[in-house]
Amino acid sequence: MEIIISILAGVLITTGIYNLLQKQFLRIVIGTVLLSHGAHLFILTMGKLKRGQPPILTDGVTDYTDPLPQALILTSIVISFGITSLLLVLAYRTARENNTDNMEELRGTENE
Amino acid sequence: MSNLVVLPIIIPLLAGVIVALFNKKVAVTRTLTKLFSILNLGVAAYLSWIVFTTDSIILETGEWVAPYGIILVADPLASLLVLTTNIVAVACAFYAPHSLSLRQETHYFYAFYFFLITGVSGAFLTGDLFNLFVFFEVLLMASYALIVLGGERIQLRESIKYVLINLFSSILFVTAVAFIYGAVGTVNMAQIAERVQIQGQDGVLTTVAILLFFVFATKAALFPLYYWMPKSYIVPNTVVSALFGALLTKVGIYSILRVFSLIFVHKLELTHETFIWIAGLSMLFGVIGALSTNNIKLIIAYNIIPAIGFILMGLGVFNQDGMSGSVYYLVHDMIIKTALFLIVGVIAYVAGTSDLRKMGGLIHYYPGLGWLLFVAAFVLAGIPPFSGFIGKLLLLQGTLSEYEVVITIIALISSLLILYSVMKIFIRGFWGEKDETGKYEKKSTKGLIGPIVYLLAFSIFLGVGAEWIVPSVESISTYLLDPEIYIESVLKE
Amino acid sequence: MLIAVLIPLIFAIIVPYLSKFKQKVHTGIFVFFIPFSIFLYFIRFVGSDFEPVRQTYNWIPSLGINFDFYLDGLSLLFVLLISGIGSLVVLYSVYYLHVSERLGHFYLYLLMFMTAMLGVVLSDNVFVLYTFWELTSISSFLLIGYWHYRERSRYGAQKSMLITVFGGLSMLGGLVLLSNITGTTSIQAMIAQVDVILANDYLPLIMAFILLGAFTKSAQFPFHIWLPDAMEAPTPVSAYLHSATMVKAGIFLIARFSPIFSGYEWFFIVVSIVGIVTLCWASYMAVRQTDLKGILAFSTISQLGMIMAMLGFGTGAAVFAAVFHILNHATFKGSLFMIAGIIDHETGTRDIRKLGGLFTFMPMTGILAIFGTFSMAGIPLPFLNGFYSKEAFFASTLELESTGNAIASFLVEAIPYLAVFGSIFTFVYSMYLFFGVFTGPAKLDKLKTKPHEAPIGMLVSPFILVLGVIVIGLFPNLFNGTFLIHAAEAVNSTVELEKLKFWHGFITPLFMSLAVVGIGIVFYLTRQKWSNIYHVLPGKLSFNKVYDYIIKKLDDVSAKITDSYMTGSLKTYMTIILATILVVTTFFMVVTGGFTISTDNLAEVTFIEIAVVLVITIAAIATIFTNSKLGAILITGVVGYGVATLFVIYRAPDLALTQLVIETVSVALFLLCFYHLPKLRKRTEKASTKLGNAVISIGFGALMTIIAISAHSTDWFEPISNYFIETSYKLGGGHNIVNVILVDMRGLDTLFEITVLGIAALAIVSLIKLRHDKEAK
Repeated sequence: MEIIISILAGVLITTGIYNLLQKQFLRIVIGTVLLSHGAHLFILTMGKLKRGQPPILTDGVTDYTDPLPQALILTSIVISFGITSLLLVLAYRTARENNTDNMEELRGTENE
Repeated sequence: MSNLVVLPIIIPLLAGVIVALFNKKVAVTRTLTKLFSILNLGVAAYLSWIVFTTDSIILETGEWVAPYGIILVADPLASLLVLTTNIVAVACAFYAPHSLSLRQETHYFYAFYFFLITGVSGAFLTGDLFNLFVFFEVLLMASYALIVLGGERIQLRESIKYVLINLFSSILFVTAVAFIYGAVGTVNMAQIAERVQIQGQDGVLTTVAILLFFVFATKAALFPLYYWMPKSYIVPNTVVSALFGALLTKVGIYSILRVFSLIFVHKLELTHETFIWIAGLSMLFGVIGALSTNNIKLIIAYNIIPAIGFILMGLGVFNQDGMSGSVYYLVHDMIIKTALFLIVGVIAYVAGTSDLRKMGGLIHYYPGLGWLLFVAAFVLAGIPPFSGFIGKLLLLQGTLSEYEVVITIIALISSLLILYSVMKIFIRGFWGEKDETGKYEKKSTKGLIGPIVYLLAFSIFLGVGAEWIVPSVESISTYLLDPEIYIESVLKE
Repeated sequence: MLIAVLIPLIFAIIVPYLSKFKQKVHTGIFVFFIPFSIFLYFIRFVGSDFEPVRQTYNWIPSLGINFDFYLDGLSLLFVLLISGIGSLVVLYSVYYLHVSERLGHFYLYLLMFMTAMLGVVLSDNVFVLYTFWELTSISSFLLIGYWHYRERSRYGAQKSMLITVFGGLSMLGGLVLLSNITGTTSIQAMIAQVDVILANDYLPLIMAFILLGAFTKSAQFPFHIWLPDAMEAPTPVSAYLHSATMVKAGIFLIARFSPIFSGYEWFFIVVSIVGIVTLCWASYMAVRQTDLKGILAFSTISQLGMIMAMLGFGTGAAVFAAVFHILNHATFKGSLFMIAGIIDHETGTRDIRKLGGLFTFMPMTGILAIFGTFSMAGIPLPFLNGFYSKEAFFASTLELESTGNAIASFLVEAIPYLAVFGSIFTFVYSMYLFFGVFTGPAKLDKLKTKPHEAPIGMLVSPFILVLGVIVIGLFPNLFNGTFLIHAAEAVNSTVELEKLKFWHGFITPLFMSLAVVGIGIVFYLTRQKWSNIYHVLPGKLSFNKVYDYIIKKLDDVSAKITDSYMTGSLKTYMTIILATILVVTTFFMVVTGGFTISTDNLAEVTFIEIAVVLVITIAAIATIFTNSKLGAILITGVVGYGVATLFVIYRAPDLALTQLVIETVSVALFLLCFYHLPKLRKRTEKASTKLGNAVISIGFGALMTIIAISAHSTDWFEPISNYFIETSYKLGGGHNIVNVILVDMRGLDTLFEITVLGIAALAIVSLIKLRHDKEAK
């Protein structure tokens, strides 16, 4: 199963990058969201899957799932959320100010 | 005593919150900013003094022993860099009120400024790889906020690229941390180092190491990953550019220095040999970029790239002199890049343009500014007796003792072209006939010059007074070349 | 000696204040006492019993960088030149520069240069030497750019800086290598280890580095091009830096390192060739100049070439002649520069085509010029010092012995002829200089002012120098035993003291001199007829054009290169970044054999998991193909909820909860922000672009998967988390291990994760406030 989840994470990374390479803001932002999902799945896989109970101490249970990756993912999810929110607002403002949501029209090669 | 380590992180954090609360009262925030910056500088100086005179200080947060809890490690390298960060920060704190518009100030500039310092200091001090990621996010988030401050059209345009590329590299960072955890089962840097050592950096470890290198190289703006950097560094206000130029890329190269001197040092012939090439290409493409433009801010921004190349070159040869050179150059470059960004900021302000082709004869109106630029150019290019020279000399000694001739020649040629690219500003912008049309009626540069002089004084001191610094830097180099010291001081088994 | 070296620099600091009184007292008068007292201080070392003196002052001992002053014969010669000519130049400048000029700046730079130059010749420490070396380049740059409102001055200053700093950096490379090999930073200690250096494999590189430094500084072919443009500097500067002292720093460097390199045959070959070619080329070029200072500049280059060549020969006689000529050249060339300055000052032009017949107007100047030019030409007259060194030069060309190397053998044969060839042109331009300016019809209509004799004060300095020409000419042995021999010995320890005589009998060098004079006269008289040759050579093939081309190309090509990839397109940037990471990381993975896969310790696969995985996969792929804004957002939401489901399955209840909440908020935010933005367009890129994107993204995803599989297939270490499980309750006081880790063991992460959120919130507020502010305006 770890291998399958690794592949799934790979698929998320692939689709994420493909979207990131598009022109329109919405697709690009969606790309970043997919990328972070992929990264989180990678972390999860690294702690081995389904070895024991959820990491909440219960009497009589000695076998728990690795809790550390979960803690890391939690931190990462929150941070990703923060960045995504900012990115959304930024994308919105940029699109409004520049009158386009096409990344390729935001090159600005002229020397300002 | 060991709680001292957390102060350079906590003070700016609190300061950031406080100035955010007082946001409306600009006079108050300005004063508070200056006070807190100086306070933090004092703390950082005291911390460095303790570390250099006694030993590294390790703080196990929440009393959780390493490697289980997060630890903060104030070793000589980290404390030196925290000190330098705060030296630079003070200059920016005093420069900012004269450079920013009131609108930018009331849009929480000072809060973001402190959060940036928090993130940078944290990144230098942490001994935990995942925690490093978190501090990276703190400083990046602050930088995202700073880069859009003002919200001009081009600013928004460049910042969205900046955010996206950094976001991508952050995600890659988390992934690489995950892989490391998968392979060695820990995220504590000392323990990773220990375990990688036991395993002889076998199997997938070198691959993950390279992945991690690229994460940091993107932040450090190394060839060929620096595309996001030059333009996004010139769109915000000067003082923001200065902070970015001094701190952001340096955190990236610091992380490379740390990870590839502590953890991944068992396949030098592969990893570090590659670094030498990347360093050379960074120098070349960096100076080519600097020569390619007439925008004075862009000239300085491009000059960040070869400097990072120089630092990486020292790591690449991985010997005593090379590493000393890297550390010295790192400190030197943090200071002089800030100074240069501040200088070109003033130039652009008094000339009313960043376009070199539209300037000339400024020295008739602003002689002091001209000479500051003149000195800064020589500092940057590593002309003795200034700080750049000491760093460069150590680096050259490092490369030439391994007879790395090609990279040495590239480094020498880059130095010349770096000098040329900045002297162009002096020759074309400052020299020339006096403009009588009143285009440059005297503008007040009050408050802008002081911070520059202060920074250049450090640069000159680092060169002329090198004797006071070099032994410490050499001890850092010895320390970095022997990862055991770090591992033992953290794990203490 | 430290004080002697630094006193000009210290004094330089107060010069700007002194210049405030310049209306009353010319600043130069104060300045004069500095070089003059240095001269007096050092002159007392002259004597036949001279012994080298060493003084050390610590600077950066941990890098071996110390003020290690070593005064031997060679340094003494240069120190006296620097301070002596320096005094005369400052004296001269008092009359040359009007008080309305920025005198403070001028003398500041000049004093800075004086310190730098003294430092160069006195430092035994290679890095201190380099420090002063670059300082000479910097002060020269400032002095050339003194009248920076002139385009030509800026051009000349930039050119000289680029070329000399280039050489300086190259020299630094050589010095670092030398100090690495020998483990010392002292030149004298290096000389003691000459065997070690000569045995090093990198000797050719070391020599090339050092020679480049010397050749650029001493304006040797083909780096000579900066010197003629340096003539934009005020004339006292030309006389001082660009003739008597700074340009001789390269000569000094070669002389200094001669004891090391002379054992290496390529040293002879390279230095001799460069020297002799410089001599010939520059004297040939000098004839074609029309600017008085242009002639003198090329003449200086050619004389430097001659000295360089003699140092290349390296024999005792050649070295002695070289040292002697350094002294002689300083006297006659210094006086000629000053005379050129006087002419410029009194007639308003330096263009030789507008000058003529000045002897009647300026007889004193004319008389001084006779001695200067004739001495330079090497005319056999017993009161001209130039003749003696020229003849010693000829003599030394005849004594060369080949080491067996074919090039060396050829050189030995060719050098005497080349020496004569170059000297013929030296003769021609010397005559041209004197007769063209002072005799013939006066062209007063072309002059702005009516020429008249210079003020007496202006004539003092050239007069003293001409006096030197004559005294040395009449008593050529005056300084030999007490002074010059010590200088020569420092270069070549086998030098023997010989008596210089005017008349040696009918020997070959005399015939060479006579040939030079004879053919020179013919060439001079017929120069109108053959001057067309300059259209052929150099014609278009000038090294100046090469320089201009390089500088232009530096800007153009770098702009072209940079614009080619800095397109401003995020897609381009991302593509390059991704491709680099992909290729390099894959390469490393293959080289280190990084791929491992182990199926021993895996969780079993269940149907429900596969179902969730498939849903996520399909949704993820669908984000690429959907063209509906709302659809895209919702599909992304599906991926998020799918991941949350996986968290549930994989026993991470906290994660699942968080993910659900955040996903919901995110989708809402997405909808909020993109509601007003344009609809999704069809992706219209070309098939090749699509393919490229697909290759990179699939490649990258695959790479990540492979690394992930390899990473969790390793089974080297136990993860540290067992500790958390054990201590969560005991030490952390919580049952939920993840929570305990978050708030306690890794509390710092959480604190700063919240900080990140806080900053993000503040940033969003700031962005939104901004809009309101703008709309309010």
